[in-house]
Amino acid sequence: MIATLSFLTRRLSQGALIVFLAALIVFTLLRIGPGDPARMLAGGLSDQASVDALSKQMGLDDPFIVQFGKYIGGIVTHGDFGHSYIRSENGQSVGGGHGDSAGASNRASVISLILGRLPLSLALAAAGLGLALVISAPIGIWAGLRAGKWPDSVTIMGSSILVSMPSFWIAGLLVLLVSIKLQWLPAVGYSGPKYLILPAIVLAIEMAPIFIRTWSSAISSMTRRDFIRVAPVRGLGSKAVFTRHVLRGAAVPFINTLGVMLTSLIGSLLVIEYVFDFPGLGKLTVEAVMQRDFPLVQAIAIVISTFFVLVNIAVDYVSGLFDPRLDY
Amino acid sequence: MTKELLKVTDLSIANVGPATPRPILKNLSLSVAESETLAILGRSGAGKSVLGRALMGWVDAPLGVTSGRITLEGQDVLGANPDALRRIRGTGIGYVGADPTRVFDPTLPVGRQIADKYRAVRPEVSAKEAMERVHELFSLVRIPEARHRMAELPSKYSGGMIQRAAIVDAMIGETKLVIADNVTQPLDVTVAAQIIRLFQDLRERLGTAFLFITSSVPTIKDFADRIVVMDQGEIVEEGPTPQLLAAPRTEASEKLIAQSPRIWGTTAPESLSAEDIRDMPPALSITALRRTYKVPRKDKLFGSVFVQAVRGADFDVYPGESLAIVGESGCGKSTLMRLLTWLEEPDDGSVQFHGKNVGSFTARERFDLRAQLQLVLQDPYGSIPAHWTIGRTISESLRLHSPLKGKARRARVEETMAEVGLDPALYDKLPSGLSAGQRQRINVARAIVLEPTVLLLDETFSALDPMEQTPLIELFRKLQRERSITCIFISHDLALVRRVASRVAVMYLGRIVEIGSNHNVFSRPLHPYTRALLSAAPTIEDSPYDPNECLVDGEPPSPIRLPKGCAFADRCPVAQEACMSSDPELMRASERSRVACHFPLAALEPASVKDAAHVG
Amino acid sequence: MSSVTTNPAAAKPAQPSTRELAMGRRIWLATRSSPWFLMGAVLFALLLIMAVVSVFVFQVDPTKMNFVDKFSPPMGAEGAKSQFPLGTDQLGRDMLSRTLVGLQITFLIGLTATALSFIIGSAVGLYAGFVGGKIDQILMRIVDIQMSIPPIILAITILGLARATPALVISVLVLATWPNYARLTRSGALAERSQEYVRAARVLGASNIRIILLMVAPIALPPMAFAAVFDLARMMIFECVLDFLGIGLQPPTPTLGVIIADGRKYLMNAWWIAVLPGVFLMLLLLSLNMMGTALERARNAVFEGAK
Repeated sequence: MIATLSFLTRRLSQGALIVFLAALIVFTLLRIGPGDPARMLAGGLSDQASVDALSKQMGLDDPFIVQFGKYIGGIVTHGDFGHSYIRSENGQSVGGGHGDSAGASNRASVISLILGRLPLSLALAAAGLGLALVISAPIGIWAGLRAGKWPDSVTIMGSSILVSMPSFWIAGLLVLLVSIKLQWLPAVGYSGPKYLILPAIVLAIEMAPIFIRTWSSAISSMTRRDFIRVAPVRGLGSKAVFTRHVLRGAAVPFINTLGVMLTSLIGSLLVIEYVFDFPGLGKLTVEAVMQRDFPLVQAIAIVISTFFVLVNIAVDYVSGLFDPRLDY
Repeated sequence: MTKELLKVTDLSIANVGPATPRPILKNLSLSVAESETLAILGRSGAGKSVLGRALMGWVDAPLGVTSGRITLEGQDVLGANPDALRRIRGTGIGYVGADPTRVFDPTLPVGRQIADKYRAVRPEVSAKEAMERVHELFSLVRIPEARHRMAELPSKYSGGMIQRAAIVDAMIGETKLVIADNVTQPLDVTVAAQIIRLFQDLRERLGTAFLFITSSVPTIKDFADRIVVMDQGEIVEEGPTPQLLAAPRTEASEKLIAQSPRIWGTTAPESLSAEDIRDMPPALSITALRRTYKVPRKDKLFGSVFVQAVRGADFDVYPGESLAIVGESGCGKSTLMRLLTWLEEPDDGSVQFHGKNVGSFTARERFDLRAQLQLVLQDPYGSIPAHWTIGRTISESLRLHSPLKGKARRARVEETMAEVGLDPALYDKLPSGLSAGQRQRINVARAIVLEPTVLLLDETFSALDPMEQTPLIELFRKLQRERSITCIFISHDLALVRRVASRVAVMYLGRIVEIGSNHNVFSRPLHPYTRALLSAAPTIEDSPYDPNECLVDGEPPSPIRLPKGCAFADRCPVAQEACMSSDPELMRASERSRVACHFPLAALEPASVKDAAHVG
Repeated sequence: MSSVTTNPAAAKPAQPSTRELAMGRRIWLATRSSPWFLMGAVLFALLLIMAVVSVFVFQVDPTKMNFVDKFSPPMGAEGAKSQFPLGTDQLGRDMLSRTLVGLQITFLIGLTATALSFIIGSAVGLYAGFVGGKIDQILMRIVDIQMSIPPIILAITILGLARATPALVISVLVLATWPNYARLTRSGALAERSQEYVRAARVLGASNIRIILLMVAPIALPPMAFAAVFDLARMMIFECVLDFLGIGLQPPTPTLGVIIADGRKYLMNAWWIAVLPGVFLMLLLLSLNMMGTALERARNAVFEGAK
């Protein structure tokens, strides 16, 4: 109990520091890049005076470190990630050029924009990841128990081919076949769960081969371990050896891969949502960058970094449950 | 004659992988009677372990049985179906190997794994009963705090303890025969002696038969009823233990007996006399050396524990002598070695090299000193970079410390190679393919090419088999004579120390507990721990020390929680009240001996070495 | 006495067992005999030759428009023209030369980025792992921070702000990947640091840098070849993704990502524009993944056997 508490305290405090520094880096990157947010918000036609006024009002005149301090302060004290430069409450882009209409009042709060898009992304992620896990476990374990034989070779070949297909390309291919030629499923946008199917399949195609490889190499390396080979000599049955020792031992590499996949999920979602014009967090991210909506980009980066850190802590913790020797 | 338990008839096993099967075991026949202890004796590679495994019905590809039958109480082992085989393995024959850490799943508590196995072979037993049975046997094999131990992971066990747990695992199904393959080989001498005594005890109490596979004659000489000698996959000789050892009939048996370590029958190498020592300033002088490691605690939020690896070591080494530092694993030998080679700074105390305190040296002075003090390491494989040519490895010393370049450097290296008995033609070869003995010569060449005055030998001969050991020891004798190098041997091998050292220091838990001449330490040990070490040492000839008289129980306390008094007190057979409360200093006991003990064994009858020096 | 069964020591000089060879060499020996590696290597070499040779052989300009021949289908399809084996795009540009130039760019960026991240990452990892202590902790915290910024976010933040040039794309890829190598090599260096030969070198007085460069690196780095091969594939995908999203290299540069993004608009009536360059990309990645798998398996087998 104390060990767990100590682990969590240590890792969470380290994690907080890491997120803080990551936020600082992203904040800096956005500030040193070209482009003046005030000019952009005020619109190209506004005069210099009103741009300056807006700049002052937004705190852009403050020294860099003060800006960052205020920003972090807002997040820590009342979860305020700021307001979008571009988007209004109803989610529409208000863009530049509207001059006075860009007041903080009708600009959407960043957190509400993110929360608005999150559920769809989560649904897509869950569907894709779930599909990948369900497919990969039996295939990977089956191949791992037959290392060096034909099932193993077929699996290597199959997963090598799948992993070599870039998601943006396979997405195009599937849209061409399933939506355009066969007209089975809708391809782009979102208006109902049917729209989840194709993107989820693409996500699963991207992730499944990696899980298959993890399972097969973890299982086959477990079966080569001495204590597994000696187990029948001790008088244990093969079923018990498999469930109690082989699967248990393979769980650690699997959990590690799951962690890596969870953290790379955002990259995959971003591409897939972009291709399918799927209104999730990934698409919001691309749009935010394209529109230079700095508060939104910053907030997304912080949210994702936090997720990264939490996933890594969870992975280490759960691995420790399966293999108590691991020094968390 | 008692009932026959195991019978092997005409067993042949071959490597059936290649086109022409290569025979491993050739037409073996043997039998084991109920409650009998049979030893299978042979050099490494004689096929002993293959036989041991085959008796369990364990023959893995590419090996295959080409002829013969194995029966246990009339039941066929090799032809048994998987279920029957499982019952035979669980309840008929148990197996304990040399490396018991590999038997258990490293991620599960040991007790649970043994209980699982018990229930697999005796399905009628409940989980609770199984745990009770494990507990009972843990206590029987004298694992302290059995209940607590059962809940721990294998990695928390010491070598001796995990071996005991493996014995429990092999015997829990009321097995009639236990095959013990090289079980004492990885253990320290006092622990190995305990395990052998445990086997004797189990045999008397439970009537189990044992098949003891080993290459070490001393290990089984007091234990086995009968010996079967194997050589090159064949049984060459068989007979009752005393007769076979007294009068071996084959060359293979003779060789095994001749190569067994001897301590008492040999004489110590000549030592510097007391007068010589007084006249000379020490080459290396170690005073009150301490090193403590801080290790963070895992069970607490904050805080650390302190591991006292070396706690005040004191000794001098005189020019031209050979000092051996003896001790079991965990006694601080390796830390002491790192301190002596200045890879680590001591927390306290000093190392003086020819009268100068190394602690006050500048980095440059230390670097220059390194050419004078060199180290020869234990592992002939790990200590040589595999991707460097032999010449490159040896010349590295010169590249760092000598102005020699190009041809001159090469000539110097080749000269040194010839001196240590390596063909200079090997200069441009990679070390792959060299034998352990040849590799050790590379190690020696690397160290002596700089002409050091002090050589540290860290278990240098331990990894070599007796055939390779002897010429290398001779080489050292020669080098020492010709160059008057001072040698410090660090070793756990008493027979070796007896052969090479002029003086011996015994180390226990980070401290020198006794130091004296070879003759004095071996024939008149003053410290009870020295005597325990000597009585546990396996030798072919009868020991002057009764193994049971002074066999210490248990294992050394952890260097984290040291007792207040003498660190050896809780294992010491002669400990008294004073030992529990005050820690003895290393005191002068005679002209040339010092000992750290409140009640040195001087009063005991000095064991008569000469009288005991006979074989059999 | 027969030296075959009884005396391994005597048998050694005549028959060097692979156990004593350096790790890297053993992995290479095991890899070389793998059919996966051979197939992958042949495919990779073929694509590389095509990409390099195309510069000299094809005189067709990949950006030259030809409105008469626009949407010409590839070989085998109805209405194909022999001078455009992979057809033409919406502007009548030759798809084959565009694809091959795209491959060139992918090769160039992927190889450079992988080499740079390997060098930077392993230098940091070797040093941190070998030296240990405070320096190790500081370097590894930097790695942690770098790793907690999602690569894609880092990439789009940087590339979304500045105009993408090949150098900038390479730096983004390197920035996103070097921590992996730092982690991998660190554990390798950590394992080597306690080896006996390192102790011998230290007792001789060799400096850390000397030991790392001459002794540890040649042992700790070769086993990571598999990671570099997999990463090369990952870098290539990543580069294409950036181009595809429109934040990497920009049209008219014919990178594979740009071509596929372009072709997506014409999926309905000119499927080949998006699909065929993707086939080349897939074959390239496949060749790398096959070689990587062979290397990884050989490495695992050697490492597990060594224990």
